[in-house]
Amino acid sequence: MAKKAKTSKSSKKRKVSRQRRRWWSWRFIGKLALVLLLLAAAGLAYLDAYVRDRFDSHVWQLPARVYARPVELYPGRVLSRNDMLKLLELMRYRRAAGAPTPGSYSTDGNTLVIHTRGFRDSDGGEQAERIRVTLGGDRIRALSGGGGNDSVARLEPLQIGSIHPGHTEDRVFVPLDRVPPLLVQMLIATEDRDFYDHHGISPRGLARAMLANLKAGGLVQGGSTLTQQLVKNFWLTQDRTLARKLVEMPMAVLLELHYSKEQILEAYLNEVYLGQDGNRAIHGMGLGAQFYFGRPLEELEPHQLATLVALLKGPSYYDPRRNEARAKARRNTVLRVAHDEGALSDRDFQRYKERGLEVVPRGASPLYAFPAFIDLVRRQLARDYPPEVLGADGLRIHSTLDVLAQLASESALREHLKRIDGSGDRLNGSVVVVAPSQGDVLALVSSRKPRDHGYNRALDASRQIGSLIKPAVVLTALKQPKRYSLATLVPDQPITVPLANGKTWTPQNFSGESHGPVPLLDVLVHSYNQGTVNLGMDLGPGEVVKTLEQLGVRRKIPAYPSILLGSINMTPFEVAMWYQPLATGGFATPLRSITDVLDKNGDPLARYPVETSEVLDSGPAYLTQWAMQQVINSGTGRGARRVLPQDLRVAGKTGTSDQYRDAWFAGFSGNHLAVVWVGRDNNQSAQVTGATGALPVWSQVMASLPQTSLSDTPPPGVENVWMAPSGDETSGENCNDARQYPMMEVSIPTASDGCGDSGPVRKAGKGVVDWFKGLFN
Amino acid sequence: MSSVLSQTIPLPALTVPAPLRWLVLVALLMSGCTAMPTAETPRTQGAPVTADTELSGSPALALLERAGQAREQGRDAAAGRYLERALTMAPNSSWLYRELALLRLEEGDPAAAEGLARRALRLAPDNDAYRADLWELVAAARAELNDPEGADAARARAEKLRRGQA
Repeated sequence: MAKKAKTSKSSKKRKVSRQRRRWWSWRFIGKLALVLLLLAAAGLAYLDAYVRDRFDSHVWQLPARVYARPVELYPGRVLSRNDMLKLLELMRYRRAAGAPTPGSYSTDGNTLVIHTRGFRDSDGGEQAERIRVTLGGDRIRALSGGGGNDSVARLEPLQIGSIHPGHTEDRVFVPLDRVPPLLVQMLIATEDRDFYDHHGISPRGLARAMLANLKAGGLVQGGSTLTQQLVKNFWLTQDRTLARKLVEMPMAVLLELHYSKEQILEAYLNEVYLGQDGNRAIHGMGLGAQFYFGRPLEELEPHQLATLVALLKGPSYYDPRRNEARAKARRNTVLRVAHDEGALSDRDFQRYKERGLEVVPRGASPLYAFPAFIDLVRRQLARDYPPEVLGADGLRIHSTLDVLAQLASESALREHLKRIDGSGDRLNGSVVVVAPSQGDVLALVSSRKPRDHGYNRALDASRQIGSLIKPAVVLTALKQPKRYSLATLVPDQPITVPLANGKTWTPQNFSGESHGPVPLLDVLVHSYNQGTVNLGMDLGPGEVVKTLEQLGVRRKIPAYPSILLGSINMTPFEVAMWYQPLATGGFATPLRSITDVLDKNGDPLARYPVETSEVLDSGPAYLTQWAMQQVINSGTGRGARRVLPQDLRVAGKTGTSDQYRDAWFAGFSGNHLAVVWVGRDNNQSAQVTGATGALPVWSQVMASLPQTSLSDTPPPGVENVWMAPSGDETSGENCNDARQYPMMEVSIPTASDGCGDSGPVRKAGKGVVDWFKGLFN
Repeated sequence: MSSVLSQTIPLPALTVPAPLRWLVLVALLMSGCTAMPTAETPRTQGAPVTADTELSGSPALALLERAGQAREQGRDAAAGRYLERALTMAPNSSWLYRELALLRLEEGDPAAAEGLARRALRLAPDNDAYRADLWELVAAARAELNDPEGADAARARAEKLRRGQA
């Protein structure tokens, strides 16, 4: 109004204002437009470079994945039908007539047809194939099928964990050609019908969405194209700011300009956020399939694929585990839309919309079932791989875990603790199972509640080992075969040891009684403390420390007399480490939890091969092992025979620490070494001994694994000899109180008690030929 | 090929310069590794130790064969994996430890090769010719480890075993 008044006043003023108007005129607008255009062009160029740079160099955050050992199937392998089915269930094989697709199987009595899923391994791996396995008498009787005429087949390794140290994004990358076409059809039908026609933004889609929303009186459809959604997920933060909205559209267009629809689709399918598992973000359809259905994406059925698509609208709102009804309704919408678009036949639509959601319960995933073992893998990996590699490069870690051994060990510990501790949480425990010849850690249990993350007792609970030390004391003696044999008499008598601090130490036997002079063997078999200390002081505690070091103990151990009765703290894993050479007759093999590391394409990157070195001579190693067998045949470990077959040659040792704080049993067969610890976290008395607290667990673990006997063939230079009770004269088989011992040749006394076959009798030796040969060798 | 395997390979007196010795040895020993043996001689004391005598009827034999093929193709990681898988099926096979020892020597890890060769020795206490070969393998590993005395000692053991056999 004021302006109008002014203009009407004078022409002079009009002139001025005209001049002013000229100043606002075309030229200015032109310039401004040019500047703006230049700015816009620069902005676009920047956005363009940004989009291309990030898309081209985008590194999928692929955490390292850890797998159990692949299950080997071959005739003769010990495997019950039950265990076979348990494995298939764990690996989520579907039961389906004729086993038509990978990941399915069918049964016909004792014969199973399994359609395996292929996998990559350092040796190339296996193709998916249909195999026929016949079981019987707890063994695989026959195996056929597959590509070659091979007698060996493998099931793919079960994934048991992933390692993502730096970030919390997790995904399984699936290339587009392995994505089920139906999933793509459903995705496009529900999220972006014009995907193949638009250039990044779809006005038609936007209009359609607005119309639909109006009709429904609420937000039922979003107008964003898949490309826009990808831009949002890929480059932009999740907050809904105007600035973000403004760049989203041009970026979507630019993306479409440079990349094919397939590339965009593949990126979308692998990027999309599908849910949350604690602090782990579930990204991509590949991991989504694993997370919700426990199966590879390729194996999902239409209703399951539809559930994944349904989640896109709101992974938390449509969480099929928490909001079942809502998720199912949305899933059926996806199925209907797919049906409307012709992606699903009438019959299939009717069929699949009636199916349940069929998601696996969250706790059921083997992915988090073995946290203690994964912890071990992580520690071993950390030595060789920096965290950023483990978090991003998609490494595949093939571990040594034997799922059946792990489950058997968990249940053995749980059941026994339930028996002796009721439902209370007073006692806890740990089990380590190792294949001694290759050093493979087959199982690691660190709690009676093994699914719980937390204190790893197997690796971190350093506890007094008690009498577990005694085989090392005996071995130290047997390394001096001119002085000691298993028949040498050792005084099991009270002994008082002066200590460095001026005090004295007077160890007692467990029973409170002393047994006088007893063969060295009996000191171990009955775990006599006084006999052990007498022997150990004779040898010198420093010599026992040397033996422990020879066996691979790395911890610094002071040569105090009290170590002779095991006043040394060790973790169950450490015990397994130094019992391992005892189990193999003197070959130390580092314990490993990893065998192979493959890159994300499945090509071999690194191997952790078997290493071994001879740390004990065959003679003393064999004698110690034999003595430890007698612990189970007639000593403190004989309770094991209640569960283990009488003819299985196994060896071991009980351990109980002061005030019954720790109960241990460590022992081995020809192919398994197991260490069991039971005690209380607060180091209070557990009121159990090695024989009552730990041995039953050990026996149960060993009984549930396929076992081979320890060898009973003495090595060269060792012979079985009948000895008189004096320990310094040979005797004969049927003579009074004569006992047979394996002995090093140099230990065999020249004197005889004159009974039976006198002289250096080699009745049970290896025969005349070997004896003769020995003369020349 | 199978005839090569079903008997232990006699090693000629080595007159090649020391650094080349192990190469010769490896070549000699490897010549028998890749074939699948066919003869089936039951293992007796002092009888030849071969893949066949030890692994007859075991599925480990198929894996051993594949290990040989992998090594021919220069896929050492694959060969190692095959051999270790075979070992879980036949953990007391001296032959498999011998194969692993050869592989590790070839891969440039003589320390590991020696340990594995000694394990192979421990598992086959009876056959002198076979043991002599293994001692040669130990000697080669020690030579690689710059331990000439140790290598000489191992070679002396091999010689002694061969003389005893003759």
